[in-house]
Amino acid sequence: MDIISQLQEQVNTIAALAFNTFGTLQRDAHPVKLSPNYPDPPPPSNPTEDPATAAGNVSEQPKLMTAALVKAAKQFDALVAALPPAEGGEEVQLKRIAELQAENDAVGQELQRQLEAAEKELKEVQELFGQATDNCLNLKRPD
Amino acid sequence: MATATYPPPPPYYRLYKDYSQNPKSAPEPPPPIEGTYVCFGSNYTTDDVLPTLEEQGVRQLYPKGPNIDFKKELRSLNRELQLHILELADVLVERPSQYARRVEEISLIFKNLHHLLNSLRPHQARATLIHILELQIQRRKQAVEDIKRRREEARKLLKESIATLDGN
Repeated sequence: MDIISQLQEQVNTIAALAFNTFGTLQRDAHPVKLSPNYPDPPPPSNPTEDPATAAGNVSEQPKLMTAALVKAAKQFDALVAALPPAEGGEEVQLKRIAELQAENDAVGQELQRQLEAAEKELKEVQELFGQATDNCLNLKRPD
Repeated sequence: MATATYPPPPPYYRLYKDYSQNPKSAPEPPPPIEGTYVCFGSNYTTDDVLPTLEEQGVRQLYPKGPNIDFKKELRSLNRELQLHILELADVLVERPSQYARRVEEISLIFKNLHHLLNSLRPHQARATLIHILELQIQRRKQAVEDIKRRREEARKLLKESIATLDGN
């Protein structure tokens, strides 16, 4: 995939990671205590009943997700560094294209000339070869 | 289930009855459309240009100007993005009702990022064209050299064969 498409994919990846991070944190966060008078909620009965909190504990997940986010951002920076240097602007490029087109035309004409000359020579050689073989065949006396 | 047949071909095929004998007796194809045209009820334009952010009502965060340093702007936008994500996390902890503004700013940064990347595409297209032209020139020069070489070889062979035949 070309570099700009990779950059665009990376931007979309960063966006996806960001909202997945916030969504997961919001979903798995402990409820906020509205007043110190309310009793604490009963602790979750069995950690193995809730595979989400058992697999990646509530304190682990943010670390993993933010690490992924930072890694994606660093990859984006690496891709930006890998962009080819932007030589000049639009006019410089257009001028170069015009030059290359002129050169291409010239070389194309040269190629055409060489091709025509070579085809002419080929035809001559074929003709002479035909004549030589005719002579050979005519000089042969059938025995 | 009822299926419909394909629509019949347009009726002007009759005009091309004698096309193989006389290509000029049949009408020319219509010229390419210029400007805007209507297709299935909506308007399209033939001028494919990337609309600027202002035309889409989005604030532009990177400086305008003839020559933009894309790498620098992309990197600074990336940093801004990271900072804004951190800010959003902070706001969600302290003042959760004020998330909307932060989310708006983050989406603004994303729009700017994508617009910047899209504006790199014409540059890429021209660079690709330059590369293709250079390759083609190189291939043509190679072909010219090949033909010259083969002609020389053929001429040499002919001379040798004439020499061997004369020797007889």
